[in-house]
Amino acid sequence: MTFNANDLLGVLPAIILSIGALLLLMSEVFLSTTRAAAQAPASPGERVAQTATAPEISSTQPDRRYQAWLAAGVAALGLWAALSQLGDPAISLFNGAAMSDGFGRVVAATVCGALLISCFVAFGYLEWLRATRGEFYALTLFSAAGMCLLAQATDLIVIFVSLEVMSLALYALCAYLRRGKRPAEAAFKYFILGSFASAIFLYGAALGFGATGSTRLADIAAGVRLAATGGGPGGSAGLLFASVALLTAGFAFKVAAVPFHMWVPDVYDGAPAPVTGFMAAGVKAAAFAVLVRILVSGFGDPSSSIGPHGWQQIIVWLAALTMFFGNLLAVPQRSVKRMLAYSSIAHAGYLLVAVAAMGNAPSRPDATQGLLFYLASYGATVIGAFGVVALIERKFALAGTGDDLSSWAGLSERHPALAAAMSLFMLSLAGVPPTAGFMAKLTVFRSAIEAGLAPLAIFGVLTSVAGLYYYLRVVVYVYMVPEGRADSVPGGRVLSASIALASCALIVLWMGIMPGSFSAMIQSASGSFGR
Amino acid sequence: MNSVGLPHFLIVGAALFALGMVTVVTRRNAVGILMGVELILNAANVNFIAFNHYVDAPGRLTGQVFSIFVIVLAAAEAAVGLAIVLAIFQTFRTIDVQETDLLRE
Amino acid sequence: MEAVLFYIFAIGVVVAGAQVVLRRNPIYGAVSLVACFFFLAGIYVLLSAHLIAILQVMVYAGAVMVLFVFVIMLLNLKEEELGEMHVTTMKGIGLAAVLVLVGFIAWKALTPVQFARDMAVNEQIHGFGGVKAVGNVLYRSSVLPFEVTSLLLLVAVVSAVVIAKGKI
Repeated sequence: MTFNANDLLGVLPAIILSIGALLLLMSEVFLSTTRAAAQAPASPGERVAQTATAPEISSTQPDRRYQAWLAAGVAALGLWAALSQLGDPAISLFNGAAMSDGFGRVVAATVCGALLISCFVAFGYLEWLRATRGEFYALTLFSAAGMCLLAQATDLIVIFVSLEVMSLALYALCAYLRRGKRPAEAAFKYFILGSFASAIFLYGAALGFGATGSTRLADIAAGVRLAATGGGPGGSAGLLFASVALLTAGFAFKVAAVPFHMWVPDVYDGAPAPVTGFMAAGVKAAAFAVLVRILVSGFGDPSSSIGPHGWQQIIVWLAALTMFFGNLLAVPQRSVKRMLAYSSIAHAGYLLVAVAAMGNAPSRPDATQGLLFYLASYGATVIGAFGVVALIERKFALAGTGDDLSSWAGLSERHPALAAAMSLFMLSLAGVPPTAGFMAKLTVFRSAIEAGLAPLAIFGVLTSVAGLYYYLRVVVYVYMVPEGRADSVPGGRVLSASIALASCALIVLWMGIMPGSFSAMIQSASGSFGR
Repeated sequence: MNSVGLPHFLIVGAALFALGMVTVVTRRNAVGILMGVELILNAANVNFIAFNHYVDAPGRLTGQVFSIFVIVLAAAEAAVGLAIVLAIFQTFRTIDVQETDLLRE
Repeated sequence: MEAVLFYIFAIGVVVAGAQVVLRRNPIYGAVSLVACFFFLAGIYVLLSAHLIAILQVMVYAGAVMVLFVFVIMLLNLKEEELGEMHVTTMKGIGLAAVLVLVGFIAWKALTPVQFARDMAVNEQIHGFGGVKAVGNVLYRSSVLPFEVTSLLLLVAVVSAVVIAKGKI
């Protein structure tokens, strides 16, 4: 009943991220001296005039540039912590409340990596808009800490609390940049549907607790086994079924699976682009990690009717619907940001295919491998894509409007490197070799076929072929449509973004050309659910 | 006390859950929607405490402890939610969710 | 006696909860929600969750609802801004599905449940549901979620400040 220091070592990435966030918040206290000197706020008219032209760093604000580097350093430290433990044997922490295993460590590393690159993207964006505040990086670090804890949690209480740490920070980040009406609306929609989803998750957790008398996933698994043999308290099978349905529904909201996807386009569109990229990569990784843990560790006993064969059907249908509607709804979008939002729904569908493949015990190691590979490759690609959007969007973010395909026309003439990077990310999202997206889809569909879900895999391939259309349309606009408007990307502060985009592009190519080396890295994770 | 058992408490929980759902879905008022979420959280709490009493091993308190975390979360969520409602009101001059629907095309 | 109390509290909870749905004015809704929470506290006492009952009254009915009422007053809504009840077809279908699910759960719970253990067991344990017993569990076996909760509260404070700060 007592805990030892090794338990803390197991959740090291989350601890590092939280400490970094606290340091950032505290450093703000020592900054405000320069601001008082040049008080005199600009009148509304002047402020509009200032923001209409490219704003310069004014003397009224203290220099906050160190914050991005501090945050990036903390993220790098967290990444190192997660990677350094990668080969260690799995250990149970805090009397089974959390678990430090390969699966959790790879997801934590993915989250920290996403955070690291997002800091670089956010730096130029926020500095250009003169919107750098300590709270921004602190909140991203806090939400990343929540994601790392989520990936390691094996107790419904811990899952619930860390889910909320992640979500509350993200609601605020959506509303962070208050230009125009859209950010407030995005935060509002995200908050309403997100808190609704947590409430549903909670009700499901209550029913699961009622059926098994415990909130630990291991004890729930024992209860599921007992209910399968007809033992256990009477009526618990029905409660368990309702519980797994509600828990899945709660997380279907978070991962943006189709009947629960309405919030995604509005939120992705209204939030600042660097936040959207981090959200797309991080939330997906963490939420899928928990979903897999609940379904496989908690309800994964193959002998039970409420076990895999019960939820596998639900997941298969969710996956099919998500892949279909995600790709279908992305087609008419004119705004690249909204298109990427629908594409993120579609990718949730492909990830659900991997989850469905975990329903069969023999295919679990391969499906785990596929899921982690997909999460990492999608993360790198989507952060890169939103990084490019962030550069294009700067000007629109000032006015509080969205981007349009026409603003991408002729990008290749003005910024060939940017155009090439965007095309690479689009091809990776579409799943064209030799990019990471292709290898990811390949591993996931292979594991689905191995699990006997060939129809689902074929359906997935068909929908991803249909998805080629809207991804390639962006490439066509970038390269072939002549420049409509003579907008160029606002200059200045693009160096950090270039570093971020280059590293994303390198990861995408590396994972696409040498998938074996990445797979070898996450080898230790594939055994996490193997039985 | 013989006539009242676990099912009775579960029905209270289910009724609260249904009422919360109805509130969230039918209300156009942002504060009203938040209240609906609070109702659902309380429905879960009733279930946790009832199950804790009837199902958990004697003397164990897992369900009650979970419900403490839920109360803490409800307080935190209310603070953030109401701040968002204020932000919505500042931008739109209304908290009617039908009229804050810019992003839908 | 306890059965009578249960029915009083249960009917109170449901009636007050229904007021939250039916009343157009959010102030009435908030006040009925307070009433609902008080009745719930009574139910928690019946389930020998004494500490939770107190917390329900102090934190929920006290702090959280004061926040609600405060914001409603701050917004100072006009009559026409209150909004009507609004049900579209999609929402109706979703609602029906949810209610069917709830009915299913309730039905499952009503079917002869053998796991209704004798209730007296917990009542004979001295201090069950009190501060000491709950605190023991909270600080020992739930130490990880407890620590994460501190993170949660800090995040909530920072988030609320960021959102309320206005234009950045």
